[in-house]
Amino acid sequence: MNPENTRELLINMGPQHPATHGVLRLVLEIEGEVIKKCIPYIGYLHRGVEKLSEDLTYVQSLPLTDRLDYLSSMINNVGFCIAVEKLMGISVPERAKFIRTMMSEMARICSHLVWIATHALDVGAMTVFLYAMRDREKLLELFEMVTGARLTVSYPRVGGVRCDVNQEFLDELYKFVNEFPKKVEEYETLIDRNRVWLRRTKGVGVITAEEAINWGLTGPTLRGSGVYYDIRKFFPYDAYDKVEFEVPLGKNGDIYDRYKCRMLEFRQSAKIIKQCIELLPEGAILADDALRIRMPSSPLKIDKKDIQFEIYIEDKSIEDFINKFTEVYASIEAPKGELGFYIVCDDSAKPYRMRVRAPSFVHAGVLPRLCEGALIADVIANIGSIDIVLGECDR
Amino acid sequence: MRFVEVIKKILLIEIIKGLWLTLRMLFSKPVTIQYPLERRKVHDGFRGKHALVRDPINGNDKCIGCMRCTTVCPSRCIHIKRAKTENKMVVTDYIIDASRCIYCAYCVEACPVCALVLTEDYEYSFYKRENLIFNKDQLLKNWDEFVKKWQKDYYFNKFWQPPGIDPSRWPKTKREQGPIPLKRGLEIERERVDESNSR
Repeated sequence: MNPENTRELLINMGPQHPATHGVLRLVLEIEGEVIKKCIPYIGYLHRGVEKLSEDLTYVQSLPLTDRLDYLSSMINNVGFCIAVEKLMGISVPERAKFIRTMMSEMARICSHLVWIATHALDVGAMTVFLYAMRDREKLLELFEMVTGARLTVSYPRVGGVRCDVNQEFLDELYKFVNEFPKKVEEYETLIDRNRVWLRRTKGVGVITAEEAINWGLTGPTLRGSGVYYDIRKFFPYDAYDKVEFEVPLGKNGDIYDRYKCRMLEFRQSAKIIKQCIELLPEGAILADDALRIRMPSSPLKIDKKDIQFEIYIEDKSIEDFINKFTEVYASIEAPKGELGFYIVCDDSAKPYRMRVRAPSFVHAGVLPRLCEGALIADVIANIGSIDIVLGECDR
Repeated sequence: MRFVEVIKKILLIEIIKGLWLTLRMLFSKPVTIQYPLERRKVHDGFRGKHALVRDPINGNDKCIGCMRCTTVCPSRCIHIKRAKTENKMVVTDYIIDASRCIYCAYCVEACPVCALVLTEDYEYSFYKRENLIFNKDQLLKNWDEFVKKWQKDYYFNKFWQPPGIDPSRWPKTKREQGPIPLKRGLEIERERVDESNSR
């Protein structure tokens, strides 16, 4: 065939492609193996969480946030709770803060384990997937022990946490955390020096620090480029100002550095959990002025109107905090990046507007920048390295 | 240094290390279980199949129709039908649409009389959606089925009284709720009552 007759080819990658981590659809304009243009299409997993929460009370909106980033539902819950607490001026007891920190780090490990599992699987290493899932199972079991659910935990509560942890759980967790760095070494034995892995990741998907900031990247994806930014350090929430940890940084901003960052985060998370268990204070786990789950004012009142439109916050005059805040933004460090909740409150028990600043949404936007000029195989590696979850992206 | 690197590359050191790890794993204890034949232990307080608690004394459900579960439910899957007979409110039907339920257990926590429970039973699947809409009879049947599987003499759900929460936040009936006697436990209770009566 003569070269004049060749043309660019449009191909669809996804939404059913197994390596796009969910239902991400990428339209690739390719010339041979090289990608000329890449357009991500999102919205296949849109469930209207933000709109839905306008019709639910603050307490009821909490289980919805589980379904954002379902790999680390605990952190989503914590983020939402912190936003509502900021809105209503509730201060959380110390013990609850430590439990939340501990649980958040467990969720971070969980999420990163799925990331390393799927990322390695996409690039071609099957064994890591199996080993990572083995360790994740242990963590999910620990979640089940305390919260009663493995994935969608709904554990934190506005003003504290839902139920107390027992000694059995703490012992098991301590044992796990002590063993965990060895497990991380196992993964590293398998892929860290592997020549296939290095060829696929080193120097691929490079993004410089300045560009990364301009694209709005956060979390390990940003830190891989060597930018020191971590909400846990800069705007400490919960008990992060009471524990010691380092923020691992990359240098080149390629896929390998992002991978390295997350691998180091495993160890830091384990370190934080260990400190939390050691420092865990005694005391209450729910603030006195926390919202109550119980609903209508008198239990046997049977007025339909009352049941459906009753304001569900008891013992607290809403005007009090309305005068202080009307809108609030609180962000936390999710495994994927900065997860923010923006809540506008009118004088009802339901959020007037809730908006989620989802890291996956921002990160999906940077895909064209990373993929253009690369090869088709690198698209998969890039998707893996920015670690997106489409449940959070589409909300 | 360079020479060493070349040797390492030729001898596939890093790959052999990885393979050695996987070979070692061959002799370690497997972490998988043969599911239908063996089952993993479910922790207490697991949020599974819905059930209405059968009152050990009168054999009926305990629901008083206060509608708290209906109000608190985020997915609005609980429907309670009530009727007024002789100036008394009677719960005629209690429907949970399990296909809509998100298993948050808010209803269990909100219930003032501990009438509702998400049991530790997680194996229930049907060919038809209609079967997932549990009415009152089905919910009581779920409880009986669960009780058959339950090994211990007493049952107490964690979310009736979440540990660590100040009891003054709960209504009186909830505060005083003790473990529910089942089978053998019921007999023990009866014996105790008989003994105290004979004395």
